[in-house]
Amino acid sequence: MPTQRSPLLQGTLDLLVLKTLARGPRHGYAIARWIEEATDDALRIEEGSLYPALYRMERRGWIAAAWGKSEIGQRIKIYSLTPQGRAQLRAESAQWSHFTTAVAKIVGQP
Amino acid sequence: MIPDRLPLHRRLRRAFFPVSPEREIADELRAHIELQTRRYVAEGMSETEARAAARERFGDIERVRAECKDIRDDMETKMERAELRQELRLDVAFTLRTLRRSPLFTTVAVATIALAVGANTAIFSVVNAVLLRSLPYRHADRVEMIWNNYSRTTAAHTAIAIPEYFDLKSQLRAHDMVAAIRTQPSALVGDGGEPERVNAIVVSPNFFELLGASPAIGRTFGGDDGAPSATRVIVLSHALWMRRFGGDPAVIGKTVNLAGLVRTVVGVMPPDVRFPDAPLGFLRERADLWIPTTFENLRADARGNQIAAVVARRSPNVSDARAKADLDAVAAQWRVDYPRRYASENAKEWSLVGVPVRDEMLGAVRRSIVVIAVAVGFVLLIACVNVANLMLARGATRQKELAIRLALGAGRARLIRQLVTESVVLALVGGVIGLLLAWLGVRVLVQLGANELPRIADTSIDATVLLFSLTLSIVTGILVGIVPALQQSSDGTREGLNIRAVGTAGRARGGDRLRLALVAAQVAMALVVLVGAGLLGRTFLALERVRPGFSAHNVLSMQLTVGRPKYDSTYKLVNFYQQLIAKGRTLPGVAQVSAGYPLPMSGDGWSGSYVVNGEPSGPNDPVPHAEYAVTLPGFFQTLRIPLLSGRDFDATDTRDAPLAVIVDELLAKQHWPGQNPIGKELNGDGPGAPWWRVVGVVGHVYRAGPQSEGEPQLYLPYTQNIQTTLSIVARGKGSATALVQPLRTAIRSLDPDLPIARLRPMSDLVSGAMARQRFNATLLGIFAVTSLLLASVGLYGVMAYVVSQRTREIGIRMALGGQPSAIRWGVLRQGIVVSVAGLAIGMLLSLAAAKAISGLLFGVKAVDLPTYLGIGALLLVVALLASYGPARRATRVDPLLALRD
Repeated sequence: MPTQRSPLLQGTLDLLVLKTLARGPRHGYAIARWIEEATDDALRIEEGSLYPALYRMERRGWIAAAWGKSEIGQRIKIYSLTPQGRAQLRAESAQWSHFTTAVAKIVGQP
Repeated sequence: MIPDRLPLHRRLRRAFFPVSPEREIADELRAHIELQTRRYVAEGMSETEARAAARERFGDIERVRAECKDIRDDMETKMERAELRQELRLDVAFTLRTLRRSPLFTTVAVATIALAVGANTAIFSVVNAVLLRSLPYRHADRVEMIWNNYSRTTAAHTAIAIPEYFDLKSQLRAHDMVAAIRTQPSALVGDGGEPERVNAIVVSPNFFELLGASPAIGRTFGGDDGAPSATRVIVLSHALWMRRFGGDPAVIGKTVNLAGLVRTVVGVMPPDVRFPDAPLGFLRERADLWIPTTFENLRADARGNQIAAVVARRSPNVSDARAKADLDAVAAQWRVDYPRRYASENAKEWSLVGVPVRDEMLGAVRRSIVVIAVAVGFVLLIACVNVANLMLARGATRQKELAIRLALGAGRARLIRQLVTESVVLALVGGVIGLLLAWLGVRVLVQLGANELPRIADTSIDATVLLFSLTLSIVTGILVGIVPALQQSSDGTREGLNIRAVGTAGRARGGDRLRLALVAAQVAMALVVLVGAGLLGRTFLALERVRPGFSAHNVLSMQLTVGRPKYDSTYKLVNFYQQLIAKGRTLPGVAQVSAGYPLPMSGDGWSGSYVVNGEPSGPNDPVPHAEYAVTLPGFFQTLRIPLLSGRDFDATDTRDAPLAVIVDELLAKQHWPGQNPIGKELNGDGPGAPWWRVVGVVGHVYRAGPQSEGEPQLYLPYTQNIQTTLSIVARGKGSATALVQPLRTAIRSLDPDLPIARLRPMSDLVSGAMARQRFNATLLGIFAVTSLLLASVGLYGVMAYVVSQRTREIGIRMALGGQPSAIRWGVLRQGIVVSVAGLAIGMLLSLAAAKAISGLLFGVKAVDLPTYLGIGALLLVVALLASYGPARRATRVDPLLALRD
């Protein structure tokens, strides 16, 4: 197992999930895997905290769930982005880049 | 049809997640662990190792599960609420659309509800003002009025003598404060305004403290207020303060000339404090101002001179029983101390009674108001039935729509909710209009009951009333909607798509049966209201027929109070009145003029005990009791009270002449049956005092009102019994009102500063004495007519509907040669059966209702056969008329048209 992992910044989990789902509907496990793989295991999300986050986002209407089949044929919930979620993703991405640019300006100074 | 406009993903979730949230979460988390396990196995771990590692990697699965569950539950509730809100919005919008499409139905339904809710709101606002709003006294719950009571069976409450008050004050144990109250009609002059007669109440200095009433400005009484040596002070009512002093706070410390004495204003009470707020025994009018007195100067007064009302405050936490025991103990003490007065044969039913001040003020009105409220409630129910029937009839035309929606999978509950929403919207619209009607109605009611109902002037549409009418509208809406909704939603599938079932001959279908049952209930309720109105109407007529013993025709009355300092001697007082009478006789249009106090049916009263010369007056002998009055010569002639024998008072009854008295026929019969009463002797001052010699006998007069005969009466000559307040009575040759101007001028010419009070035709006093009965009878009469109209409209509507539903069947019968008369009779018979059933139930209800109001009846029994039969017959005739129209129409059905339909 990788030893070098960054803890997740508060609030970024939602953004990561939304971004992940923007690429297509997925179940919870796949979302966790995809985030890990896409960041080369640099970001490992707390799997435990992923589900409450998913439920919260569903409550807010950003994502919707439907029963589907997993790769091994289990019944599993598949999440997809709603139009509301898409709008939320745009807003959060903009906010994120604004934030990182600002932080980079300070951190990047000699 | 209602489009389902919930967001798509929400609807999908409902459709595709038919599992419980617990299952959903458990399945999802298990799938996750399973997938992770597979992956580890694929990486080369053993099954057991892999599963353990997957679990460990996931973390605290129970905590996650719980957290997810919370969020999911919260989401479910939110979704349900949102869905309900959404549906309600849609239902309301849909309702408004459909109501707009059927304006006739909407208008009739809304108008019916508006009338009923309006009437109920108006009556409720009176109930609220008179009965529900609490008295403006902090200790009201503990304050009681204490009276002498001479009869165990009837509430014959008599005032308290001042020495009795002092005894109560020192002997009551379970009461922590006692105060006495007297009236003193007074002229208020010397403050720059016109002279005005004000109603002054003389009270013990602790009076306001006892009640728990605080002043709006200044102070109430305390310290040595009211003591003979103290500064003379008064407290003003808010009304007088506004009227005379323009609400100027600088009034505190000002002096006013009240009945010849200069008094300093020390406080003003808040607007709602007018003690007595409603008639309390002989205290008839609300106070304009209060004067403190210790009553010390009357401590040694005669115990027979019962001139005061007594209020007492129970100590905290004293039960009814203990308060009563306290009074009984004092009464027992008095029986020992004054056996002749309280332990004689005549006084064997005597006791001291305490009546909570609230009951005392409102007791008499409570029952009539409750009756009126119940009657108006029936009107509402009858109106509800009409609207429900309208909705039923209308629903029948919508069966297809409902059936389609049921078939498309709308739940029955959902349909019911929508139908009830419809009726609630209707009722709310009706309620708003009804509120406007109530606002108008309240003004009429206040006019009608202004003199008779205490505190009715305070009636207004306040928050409580608004809440009442809102609740009433919603309840009405639900009542009106629920029965049709239940019925239609169940009928829908069976009949709706099937277009129409053919009615079978003579037998009502389910829907019709419901309609007919509702109409029968309507007839029953209308009968109850009509019988109530009939009984109260007959009560009123019976009271009008009572011969009161005097004639008020063309008589004008007014009250004068002639006091110090201008009239500081007996001579001046007597002289003033004699001059006035002499002057009055010469006025054009005046037939007779005289004066006396108190006038019959004026609300004023004066009674006391007396002893008869020659009758034993030992400690155990009876102390007879009578109504007193003082009169000037000509009083009996002016009021047409017959002089049965002897003479009227005249100029010979001077101060120095032998004391004279005139008794009424009852008193004469009681003491000297078969003898000539003239020359007999009695007095009211106790044994040993000079006797009064009977000089005449007159007819008995109903003094308090036509309801009760009252006690025996005795009259004293004014010249020998001086007092400052007298009522002038003048009989005109023409109408009483024509005398107002000449008499006023005559009084002004004698004394321009003298205020004239209670200037009104004597006939107003007589009708005023029956005002409450008139109020009851009028209101119930209005409600009865409304009920009758509503019920007949209801019956007509249902019969017409039943006929229209049977058009096909009737057409077939006609085509097969059915006799029109038989068909007509068939319809008519249905109407009669329904009405008779309603009448039968109504009769039973009426009997129970009449028993409940028997206390309000006079001259008519609760089970008054003519009233019941008459009203039953009236209702039956109305029912026949209402069914006859539809029955006739039935025979006009064109068989061909009916069959083609």
